Amino acid sequence: MGARAGYHEYFDYRHHPARLPQLVDGADPVRHAVAIVGGGPVGLSLALALARHGVRPVVIEADDTVTYGSRAACISRRSLEIFDKLGVARPVLDQGLAWTAGTSYYRDVPVYRLEMPMDANQKFPPMVNLQQCICEQVLVDQIERLGERVDLRWQTRLARLERRDDGVEVAVETPLGPYRLRADWLVACDGARSLVRQSLGLRFSGTTYDGTYIIVDILLRSDYPTERRAWFDPPSNPGSTILMHKQPLDIWRVDYQLRDDEDPEEAIKPENVLPRVRSHLRWIGERDDWVPVWISAYRANCLTLDSYRHGRVLFAGDAAHLVPIFGVRGMNSGIDDAYNLAWKLAWVAQGRAPERLLDSYSVERVFAARENIRHASKSTEFMAPPSKAFELMRTAALGLATRDRFFATLVNPRQTSAIAFADSPLNAADSESLPAGPPPGAVLAECPVETAVGRRHLTELLGLGYTVLAFSPTDPRPALNGLEDLPVGLVWLAPAPGAEADAWDPDGRLFALYGAAPTACYLVRPDGHVAGRWRAPTAHAVRAAVGRALH
Amino acid sequence: MLDEQALDEVYTRTCQVMTELGEARTPLFLARLCLLLMKEVGDAERIAAAIEAARPDAAD
Repeated sequence: MGARAGYHEYFDYRHHPARLPQLVDGADPVRHAVAIVGGGPVGLSLALALARHGVRPVVIEADDTVTYGSRAACISRRSLEIFDKLGVARPVLDQGLAWTAGTSYYRDVPVYRLEMPMDANQKFPPMVNLQQCICEQVLVDQIERLGERVDLRWQTRLARLERRDDGVEVAVETPLGPYRLRADWLVACDGARSLVRQSLGLRFSGTTYDGTYIIVDILLRSDYPTERRAWFDPPSNPGSTILMHKQPLDIWRVDYQLRDDEDPEEAIKPENVLPRVRSHLRWIGERDDWVPVWISAYRANCLTLDSYRHGRVLFAGDAAHLVPIFGVRGMNSGIDDAYNLAWKLAWVAQGRAPERLLDSYSVERVFAARENIRHASKSTEFMAPPSKAFELMRTAALGLATRDRFFATLVNPRQTSAIAFADSPLNAADSESLPAGPPPGAVLAECPVETAVGRRHLTELLGLGYTVLAFSPTDPRPALNGLEDLPVGLVWLAPAPGAEADAWDPDGRLFALYGAAPTACYLVRPDGHVAGRWRAPTAHAVRAAVGRALH
Repeated sequence: MLDEQALDEVYTRTCQVMTELGEARTPLFLARLCLLLMKEVGDAERIAAAIEAARPDAAD
């Protein structure tokens, strides 16, 4: 929203030149399988994921470098699992700050302790703080490493878009001149103000909250650990709500809510922002000098398109939906969109699956957006009460929470988690009631496994196609014969070390977590969601379930 | 005992009704809700304890 101001640069932006393809009659002569509009975290993740499936996308990005300013700051465990598959989890973990906990205060009393799920089964922390510009740079580095497999075109701005039955033609502008570009499929990853969305005449539906938050990034050296801190009505800023997150490179993000009677245009001016931040830092005991880096204003939106597929045009990330920041579902849900879409679009573009598979992308991710909006709305209503009534109830809840832990759960910030698609058209019926484990539509529960080459995690065993996880003490292959014509890989998981199993349960945890004793069979989609599960491996059930994507 | 999500839902529903009614009618709504919940609790001792716990002190 509105005014932004940068005061201090801490990131070394690399500027990329524009490039023109060899034009024929003012057009790129190559007809591309997939064009991605927008090289933000969603577009770049989608490009990497498509390349992984053997599709070479062209990405057009209007700017000459990664994002400026103060944008997404937290990367979720689910996004890290996706980044792992895209080959970028390591640099994100190396540069980011992992965290698991947080504290909420009412005035100066701690009232709620946030502990995000973190157990010995996990490969990744629940959350990593990393500025969006650094995250995007990691993705760009990986694209450059892939060489010809992704065609990333900087300083290339979408001007017009024409839809055809069999594809899309766009007019783009670059500093070297305009040209036309044709593609079989176009994915709009061009953000909240999506030009693609506008040019198709599509409108968001949903609600916009009135409350305005000021987001201030500052440069401050502090040894305080990485955790989420929230203060309601702190003595440093009576009546306000303040959030603080630590980020790499000594950047701290401070968010606070404006009162209803404050004019956002005035409130965003440094002379009004800096005294509030100074007062708060002093009160929490930060003594070092600090400087502001970036100041912006934010207003919570709960908006989504009703469909993310419009013929040959698909929508992902902020171009498709806007979710309030509280709970960090913005960029993370966009990365999930990209990963859900990539295998489906690749298979359709390669003629391996019917176009209808893309409708399941829309159904699943519109559902996810609505779920994300539902959860984020609850957080927003507590962080930024939309009426006097919500504010009165919050005051009552916070006061009681100082003495009675029962009410503390109302303060829970409800951080993002992967959405399960209970009603996905790709789910096989869940009729064999396993005693535990993720049902169809949910993502896999992480768990360590032993392999011939050492300790691994279950999600690392997934292949590019569907994967059958066959939990069995004896060789499951005879029961899974005749699937060779399908894009299905087989992983044999044994309860104890066995001669030919691909992996085995180190200590009984894996089979218990999946309700898999004595045998079970989980069919997992290329994006890590469970497609079906049965008490024992059977080729016929697997074939029918994979058929939901292929026919 | 209400679980986390159930508490969340009834809390939000209460906020929504209060928002619909507006500030002027909210005290009457809260008083009626209080009387109905007294009937549901049905235990004078527990209600008396809740009355004391609800009384805001100077800091609240």
